Amino acid sequence: MSQNRWLATGNFFTSYKQEQRTFFTHLDRTIFTCFLVILFGWPLLFEISNKYMLVLDNILIAIVAVMGLNLLLGFAGLISIGHAAFVGIGAYTVASVCQVIGENHVIVTHFWPVLIVLAGLMGAAFGAFVGLPALRLKHLYLAIATLSFQMIFEWFIQFMSFFNQGQTIYVGRAHWLTGQVGRSDHYLFWYYIILTIVVILGFGVRNLLKTKYGRCLVAVRDNDRAADAMGMNPGLTKVYAFALAGFFAGVAGALHAYLYRGVGFDSFTLHHSVAYLAMAIVGGLGTLNGIFWGPVAIKYLDLQVEQFSELAGHYLTYAPNVATALKPLSFGLVIVLFLMYEPRGIANWWRIVKSYTKLWPFRY
Amino acid sequence: MKSKTTLIFNVFLVIVFVFAFTLPASAGKTYKLGMSLAITGPTSDAGNPYAKGAEDWFKFVNETDYLGDGDKIDCPIRDDQYKNDVTKRFFEEFLDDGILIFLSYATGGNLALKRDFEEVQIPVIPASYHEGLIVDANYTFMPVATYSENAVGLAEYVMENHKGGDTPQVAFFIHPSAFGRGPLEDTQKAIAEGLNIEIVEVVEHGTDLDNTAMLQRLVSKDVQYVICHTVQTPVATMLTDAQRLGVTAGSFGEKGKLTFLGAHYTGGSDLIALAGTATEGYLWADSYNLTSENNEGAKKQLELAARYGRDDKAANSHNYGAGILAAQIATEAIKMAKETGLKVTRENLYIMLQKMNFNSFVAAGPVTYSDTERIGVDVQNIYVAQDGVFKKIQSFESKYIQKVRAGR
Repeated sequence: MSQNRWLATGNFFTSYKQEQRTFFTHLDRTIFTCFLVILFGWPLLFEISNKYMLVLDNILIAIVAVMGLNLLLGFAGLISIGHAAFVGIGAYTVASVCQVIGENHVIVTHFWPVLIVLAGLMGAAFGAFVGLPALRLKHLYLAIATLSFQMIFEWFIQFMSFFNQGQTIYVGRAHWLTGQVGRSDHYLFWYYIILTIVVILGFGVRNLLKTKYGRCLVAVRDNDRAADAMGMNPGLTKVYAFALAGFFAGVAGALHAYLYRGVGFDSFTLHHSVAYLAMAIVGGLGTLNGIFWGPVAIKYLDLQVEQFSELAGHYLTYAPNVATALKPLSFGLVIVLFLMYEPRGIANWWRIVKSYTKLWPFRY
Repeated sequence: MKSKTTLIFNVFLVIVFVFAFTLPASAGKTYKLGMSLAITGPTSDAGNPYAKGAEDWFKFVNETDYLGDGDKIDCPIRDDQYKNDVTKRFFEEFLDDGILIFLSYATGGNLALKRDFEEVQIPVIPASYHEGLIVDANYTFMPVATYSENAVGLAEYVMENHKGGDTPQVAFFIHPSAFGRGPLEDTQKAIAEGLNIEIVEVVEHGTDLDNTAMLQRLVSKDVQYVICHTVQTPVATMLTDAQRLGVTAGSFGEKGKLTFLGAHYTGGSDLIALAGTATEGYLWADSYNLTSENNEGAKKQLELAARYGRDDKAANSHNYGAGILAAQIATEAIKMAKETGLKVTRENLYIMLQKMNFNSFVAAGPVTYSDTERIGVDVQNIYVAQDGVFKKIQSFESKYIQKVRAGR
């Protein structure tokens, strides 16, 4: 290793331990720390409306969900079209507890971190169960299996009176050290909680990929027979990938339940599964920073298209159906164009920018 | 000296000019309301004319100085595309803007925000008439009779007008959701309270384009009446199929045939446009005055639509009338607060709403609320489709729904 740990230039790994460092240079660590300080600090400096805090919280929740999907799809190469159902499992775990013991029970209001973890574990259990067909199925066939789970989930929720037939099940307000989190602080409070969870899980994923379990995922994705020949258990790895994705989704679902203070069926439909898939692909499959770019880009696009469609709805008063069609049409068009011209996702742009700044002022 | 005088005169002119243009504008107050509904997306066939109705009424209020003193209402109408998440976001945005009353839309969205409404203590006027919205809720003011009242009322109508000594055999054709199931459950409770009908079958429709098997099955089970609680499209499909199969009753309760009845969102001019002659004989319970009635109220609705250049489809839609009524309730609350000399705040509007009693040209009866009553128009009209329009048969108030509510 070079003595100058601030720059990558001239640094060579001389041991596996060095290669496994989270930050290769001090500069990387400093930039990341500054970024975190900004993320945690800006709400203290600027006042932002609840509407935008809600949007930000939603983006962060989507990041948690997409982390799981990216592990499954990007790192393990297993397609899932039922990711929203796993998010729903997490949300309905919290909702079930509320149904049984009451929305304002101390377990719901005070022990919410426990419930969030429980929701993650429920997601993992369902993920592992749904992942069982992955032992036999691949590619499109596996996609259909996960799609079936999405359908079963929707049907189940809509017809079971315990789940209020899909209508909202209320979740009580969370308590913090200072007491109940009031309405005025609600979105800010959950911003910090979700951001903390994103950071913890982000480091978790980063570290997982450095372990043999993480490498197993990539090996099975690249060639499961070769992985088998190397002594890995591809079947178990696939089930475990589904369980991991389910865990992340479950946590996202519980956060969604607490943020919205209620769980309703229509936040976990097939449409949402497709949206998560789009986030993972647009962000960049099999990349860490793609996990963050995808949700930001898709949610932003969604907002823009929504405004465009709303505007069209006001002007095309004689043809509301045309205005209705504009949203999925423009949304789909942007996704298709993106996939055509940048199939590696936004993460690739990030990679290009990074390599350019590393080499600057030289071109190569 | 001369130039100084000229300067003072010029300054005076400028001040007069500025005041002349600014004073009238600042003379009146502007009251902020917010409306979120599906202008596009699912159910926009109802949401679109509803939005137009509300928009036109607020324009009318502002243009005619209805509130007096040059006061105006500013009510942005946002398109939530029938998505609860989006409704929530708009609601937060409206709260940031300091709205006084929230005009909401769908059952799901209202249920999702029910706790927020109570917490923020903001009066809400929904477009959904789901009974559950006013259970354990103080701030939701239902404009007209609920879906449950419609369904139970229709069941009562069947019981009272059924010929023969036997118990009327009824099937329910409902939307596969809590929106569809709620009125069914209340009808079942009414049966437990003594309503003499028998529910033979409950059909939760899907997106099927053919109902042949279902209709044949109902006939084979001796069902005579089908009460619908869903939206217009599946009802139109069913009525068309019934006409094709020849199982539509020629007169009310005809033996061996099916008499179709439905609640608020199943009927109206849009149903006739969709199902054509198959709609003939369809009975529909609703609390709105229809333009086909050609009365004073209908004329006023059509005048308002014509004033703002609305097409015939929107002008004749009962959803256009529903939008007007929701806007009227909000307007009347503000007007009452002003007339009472109260400051126009959420708290005072809440008090005014509880004292409200006024007649709207779009409603079947007076809009009244009280400390305990959260339904504005209790009167329902039963209409029958005849010669391509809905004609009023009678007005009534459901008796059994009171028993159901008392037992809740």
